[in-house]
Parts: sequence; structure tokens; C-alpha cells
Amino acid sequence: MTLREVTLVAGKELRETLRDRRTLAVMVLFPLVVYPLVSLVTAQVLAARVARVESHVARVALSGPPALVAELRGRLASPDLALAGAATDADLAASRVDAVAEVKPGKPPTVRLAYDETREESAAARDRVTRLLEAPADAVRCAPPFAVVATGIAPRAQVSGYLLSKVLPLVVVVMVMLGAFHPAIDITAGERERSTLETTLSAPIDRSALMAGKVLAVATLASLTGVLNLASMSLTVLEGTRLVAGSEKLAIPWVRAAAAFAVVPPTAFLFASVMVAIGALARSYKEAQTLLTPVYFLCMAPALTAGLGDFPLTGVTAFVPGVGVTLLARDLILGRASIALTLAVLASTALYGAAALALAARLYDSERLFFTDEAGLGLGAWLKHLVWGRAGAPAAPGPGDEPPTAGQAIALYAVAFVLLVFVFFPLQSWRLGPGLLISEWIGLGGLTWLYARGRDQSVARAIRWRRPAPTATAGAILIGLSAWLVIGLCAEWILPAPKEVVENLRRAIVPPSGDRGLVATLFLMALTPAVCEEALFRGPILRGLRTRFSPAVTAIVTGLLFGIFHLDAWRILPTALLGVTLSGIALASDSIVPAMVAHFVNNASLIVLARMHADDTDALPRHAKLLLGTLGAFVLAVGVYLVRRATERKRGL
Amino acid sequence: MSEPAVVVDSLVKRFAAKTAVAGLSFSVGTGEIYGLLGPNGAGKTTTLRVLAGILTPTSGRALVAGIDVAERPLDVRRRLGFLTNTTGLYARLTGRELLDYFARLYGLPRADAEVRVEALATALDLRPFLGRRCEALSTGERQRLSIARAMLHDPAVMILDEPTAGLDVLASRFLRAFVRAERDRGKAVVFSTHYLAEAELLCDRVGLLHQGRLLAEGAPAGLRAAAGDAPSLEEAFLRLVAAADGAADRAAEVAE
Repeated sequence: MTLREVTLVAGKELRETLRDRRTLAVMVLFPLVVYPLVSLVTAQVLAARVARVESHVARVALSGPPALVAELRGRLASPDLALAGAATDADLAASRVDAVAEVKPGKPPTVRLAYDETREESAAARDRVTRLLEAPADAVRCAPPFAVVATGIAPRAQVSGYLLSKVLPLVVVVMVMLGAFHPAIDITAGERERSTLETTLSAPIDRSALMAGKVLAVATLASLTGVLNLASMSLTVLEGTRLVAGSEKLAIPWVRAAAAFAVVPPTAFLFASVMVAIGALARSYKEAQTLLTPVYFLCMAPALTAGLGDFPLTGVTAFVPGVGVTLLARDLILGRASIALTLAVLASTALYGAAALALAARLYDSERLFFTDEAGLGLGAWLKHLVWGRAGAPAAPGPGDEPPTAGQAIALYAVAFVLLVFVFFPLQSWRLGPGLLISEWIGLGGLTWLYARGRDQSVARAIRWRRPAPTATAGAILIGLSAWLVIGLCAEWILPAPKEVVENLRRAIVPPSGDRGLVATLFLMALTPAVCEEALFRGPILRGLRTRFSPAVTAIVTGLLFGIFHLDAWRILPTALLGVTLSGIALASDSIVPAMVAHFVNNASLIVLARMHADDTDALPRHAKLLLGTLGAFVLAVGVYLVRRATERKRGL
Repeated sequence: MSEPAVVVDSLVKRFAAKTAVAGLSFSVGTGEIYGLLGPNGAGKTTTLRVLAGILTPTSGRALVAGIDVAERPLDVRRRLGFLTNTTGLYARLTGRELLDYFARLYGLPRADAEVRVEALATALDLRPFLGRRCEALSTGERQRLSIARAMLHDPAVMILDEPTAGLDVLASRFLRAFVRAERDRGKAVVFSTHYLAEAELLCDRVGLLHQGRLLAEGAPAGLRAAAGDAPSLEEAFLRLVAAADGAADRAAEVAE
């Protein structure tokens, strides 16, 4: 063995591996895009939950001899405690109060502090009261004036259920996903790799039945994995808790734990369908792994958030894929699941699964899968061209305004995302104004310019800068004037942002430390994103995706990417909806200008309202919201009509 | 005169910018072996996949047993046996499990399926390995099992995509004898290969495919004669391709 031989082989292997775009995608996109996205969004949601618990004013009931109660009141005077008269443990169990403090005479007086250990608000109330009562009375007397005996009132079975509910739902969802992962790849991409696809497709069986059979097999395996893990984890958690608690016996809520099994089949069906659908896109086992691994992590994020965040199962969360089943499993273990919400979660999960199954059936016999589309310019040649301009190898078939491919559009987005996380965010945290200007004009604008240069196009051609019809511009203005209102009300209904988040946004527009003035704010927060973000998103990204998808799917995907790019769990929905609207405008008008106009007017409206302190729709009564929403929807519809009309006229329809 | 078992009429199949089949027409009668011959990339496999209802024609039409493959692909698949150019067996099933599975997919009653499996096991000498997993079989054994899989429902039309690729001389001869026997039972066979000598031995008629088009069609002897008494089908094919390419070049020059 010589070093030359080793390096020769290593060089060949590296060359081959690095020419595999999928390996590069996993190597680069995963650590730089998916992990930051999942962790940041999860952290934001969890932080909001912690903030909510901390901002909750705990209701503490006091009882005992009047003199001691008075002293107790004095000690507990705090803005985060609301003190009330006597209450019973039954009131505590029914969540009418968060803690019950009963003081008895003694030296020092003893406070029996009852709390519900299965409620976060109650545990927070216990901590606050204990901290205040156990603090020394003053600098001279070091001993605390009260002795506190905290007593959990939840029945043992409920405590066990609470402990299980913290671990099991997440474990079940994650394990079901894991159980579906490899079988889904094996029966789709594995079949293709083993060259049995044609044999299967030549059989006289309907494709939907074929895929339903495959999904059923994967769902069965995933269910088995889920059930085995659920059973094993239940016993492990309870045994572990018993060891920690010593001789104290925990009652195991067997019936409730068993009820949690109800979520396994629909969850397995959903993930099996999703993974089979995605596996159906892949041409090889390796490609399927590349496609499914990020999906696995993205699916885990809502389950993780729901599992750790202690969110309520409501009419909205019940319909969020991954979240609904996690919360339902928890509520079933805690014995507080309502029939209506249980049915809503099971039905919606099954419905999403069925939709994914239908997609899988459509994709599985896609003719694309019989052929390869690997042809393309090598990375090295493209980089040379980027650096040296026309002197290097051409990046496109020839100069002109050819759009990028969908893969190039996604790669461009990934680069922008990496810059956002590792450069733009730190810059904006350092100083918002200069950070935003650098991120937008140099970052996003520069990226668009580099892309155009790499393709031998002018920026105007690359982003489709064309003079729009006056009607389209008028429509864009109307859309900009109304979209923020309609989208804001929708988002408030579906996923209301915590007050702190809204307040932070207001402070960014009107800094309390010193107003930057209307014109400067409009330039920074309306014109800058309208030009730079639109240039990238409604320019090459939208055009690239359009080469692969229908206009509707292109608008939705670009909108989603735009929403995710804002990297804020609470703003993903409204910004994604805005992104879909702006993408629709750009596609319909075949020019980027109306989308820029609509984006500018949308942001400008919000800025003006925030400066006038007139942007709080929360404070409005229900009927006023309904009226405003209707008015906004009407103006929006007129705007959309005008943009479409202008396009139809241009096409001579 | 009876209706042809297979009709391909002005068939075009495009994949994005690539045209794999460009206006192909031919027909195959019952009790006839028709060979689709041509080099790799000529459009043979694409044509057979269209006939099997796996691919949809871009334009033109294809009929199997009088049924349009684009309109009723399931009915077509019930009437044909398709042997892919890979053996395409499920590696982790045994031979018997595989045949049982396909017999049920074809809707054969259990008793009929057992009789049919036994008959094919005898005809194709499958018994020694029917209980073994497909992944443990030799290439020749896999190919025989594949044929049994495609013939389970006794289809009127057999579509065989390069069935002798990778087989040794004995296995190839065995397969050719089986195909002839099926032809003699009245089946229509569409057979693709790029081994022209083999086609000469087996086919009643052949169609020479080049760049998705039919260069010539007829009995092997007739094609050799048409190519200036070429000594073999291979030589005839080369002469016809050269003539076609020359004509295309001349047409391009005139257009310029």
C-alpha cells in the first residue's frame, strides 16, 4: 500500500460523492437550514409558552386565623399573585384557583400550601408563594416567618398520568415515524432499485389499490413499532419513577395509557402515507433517505413542540398535523380528552393521510421515475463562470431570460436561508436599522445580482422587471391596502401571536428609545423589503419553481418559503399568506413590479397604523372585526380582479 | 381474416425534450412472433412499456386484443403477459409465493391457480427451486420463473423485453423453444432484442427500429433481400441504417 494509491482512491471517491447533489444537500442543507429552522421555531414556541405561564397571575386562596391571614397577605403582596378568600382543594382541582394556602398558628406559623402538581400554573403559584414566604423577614431576623408545607392534591393515578403524558405522546409520534421510515423507503425506492417496479406496474391492479396496500403495510409496521414503544416506555417511565420515589407506590392509569393507543393507527397511517408519497418520488434508496430525513425532522418539530410545550388541544391545534395527535395522546392519558376534539383529531389525521395516499398513487407510476435528469452544468464550471463572467463556461444554454431550474431556485433559497441564520440575524440583533439595510440590499440584493451574473442576464431580466399595465398597478395597490387586514384577521383566528411578540414588532417599527421618523421607517421597513425580498423571491425563486409546478402550486410553495424565511413561528402563517398573494400577483402580471408595489403598500399601511397606535385589532369588538374583515376582503377581491383583468387584456383574451 | 392481436398506430412517445418513439406503426397477428429489433435507445423498451400500459402514448394509439391501452390499461394487462428486461422478481419471496401472489392479482380461483402453477412448473422445469427465495436463484432460474409469472393467466399476447439477455446458450435455446410452443398454441408474441441473430432464428416477422422509427419490416429473409442480399440480418440492419442516416443528412443539407 502506498500513499499515492490511497490518495488516488480517496480522490476518485470524493469526486464521485461530491458530484451527487443529494449527498451535498444532506451535507450542507441539513446542518445549515433544517436544524436552525426546526430549533429556532421550536424554541420560539416554547419560549412563548414559558412567557405565558410566567405572565399568568396566580390565584391563591388564603384561609386561617384572621391575624395570620393578614400577615400572610402582607408577605404575599406581589403583582404576579391575586389573593382571594378561603377555597377548598376541590376548587383547586377544578382550576378555580391555582393554590390554596391554609395558615396555622405555631412558632413559626405553618402554611399548608396545596397545589395541583399536574398543572404548570399551579406549580408556578407554589414556587412563587414558597419563595416569598421562605425569604427572611428582614436583615436582622434570618429565620423565615412562615414554615411552608407544600402538598400536591392530585390523585396518585393522575400524577402518574401526568408523568406519562410528558413523555409518551412524543415518544409514540417519534417512534411511529421511525417505524414508517425504512419500510416506506423499502417498498418504494427499494422496489425501484431492485428493478421490480415494472413487474408490479404490469399487474392488473389499480394504482390507488396498489399504493393503499403499500401504505397499509407500512402503517401496520409503524403501528407495531408505536405500540411496542408505548408499552415499553410506559413500563420504563413508571418503573424509573418508582425507583426515584423509593417505596412510594404510583398508581398506574392503565386504562388511560391504553386509550392513548387510539392515536397510534391514524398517526401511523398519516406518516406512512406521507413517507410513501415522498419515497415514491425517489429513484433510489439513497435518494429516498435524502428526501425523507429532513421530512422526518420537520414532522418531528410540531410533535416536539406540542409534547414539550403543554399547549391546549383546541379547535385549531386539533387540525395541525402532528400536533393534534400528540396533544390528543396527552389528553387521553390525562383523562381530559373531549369526544368532539378526539374525533376532530382522528378524522383530520386520517384525512391528511388519505390526501398523502392519493398523492402517492399519482406519483408512483410517474414516467419521470423511469428516466434520469442528471444532466446539468457541474458546480465547478458554474463557479468559474460566476467569478470570470463570460470568459468561463456558460451557465445556461445561452444569454436571454431563461428561468432557473427548480433545483437552482431551491439552492438559491438555501443560500439565502443560511445567510439569514448566520449573518443577517446577528447583524439585525446588533443594530436593527443598519443590520436590516445590509441584510436586504447587500445580502438579498447581492444574491440576486450574483445569480443574474452567473446566468449572463441583466438583473432586470432575471427578476422580470417589466412595466406593468396601469390596471395591474392599481390592483396591486388595493391588494397592499387590504391584504394586511384580511391576513392579520385570519392569522389571529387560526394562530394568535402572543402579546409579547406583537409588542416586540411594534417596538421594532416605533423604537421607544427614539423614533427614526416616518420617511426613514418607510424606507427601511417598507421600500427595502419590497425591493430586495421581492427581487429574490418573486424573481429567480418563483420563476425557477414555475418550471416544475403549476401556477397555483408555485405560488403556494414560494409563499411558504417566504413565510419560513421570516423565521418566526408566529409570523410564518401571515407572511406565508402574504407571500402566496404576492407570488400570485407576480405570476398573473408577468412582472415583478406589481408585487413590489403591493409589498410596499402592505408594509407601509402597517407602519402608518403602528405609528398612529391604531393597529391593535385585538382591542376591537367582534362585530367591528367582522365588518373590517368583510371590507378588507372586498377591496382585496377588487385588487385581484384588476390584476387578472390587466393580464387578460395583455393576452388579448 | 381475424383481427390482429396487437396494433400500434402512429405511436409517439416523448419524455420532455426527448422523443423516444416517433410515429411507429406495426401489427402482430395471433400465432405470430414479431421481433422489435434495434440498438440500445432505439425505442424498443418504450414501445413495449406502452403496450403493457405502463407508459401512456403522447399521441397515436396502441391496441392489445382490440383494447386501447390508454383507455383501458387494466383490461389490457389482464390479457397480456409482460416480461421485463430485468427478471423483476421479489427477492424475499419464494418462487411459489411469487406465483401465488400474481395468480391472485390476476384473479385466478385458487384451484385453477394451483393447476396452472403445476403446468408451468412442468413446462419450465421450475420444481427444483419453487421453494427457494428468488434472491437465491441463478439467472436462468429467475428468467424461467419470470416467464411463469407472466404466463400464469394464460394471456393471449406475450410481450417479452430482451428475454435472453444474460442467459447462457442452453437457457436461451430453452426459452426460444418455449416461445415457439406458445406461438403454436395461437399466442401473439412481441419480442424485443438487440441480438439480431437470435431474432432471425425465432421471429416470423421483424421490425427494425432506429431512433424511434421503423426502418423496415418483414420476414428476416425478405429484409436481407431488400438490403441487397445481405448475408445476415445484422448486415441488413447496418445497411438500412446507413441508408437512412445518409438520406437524413442529405435532407438536412437541402434544408440549410
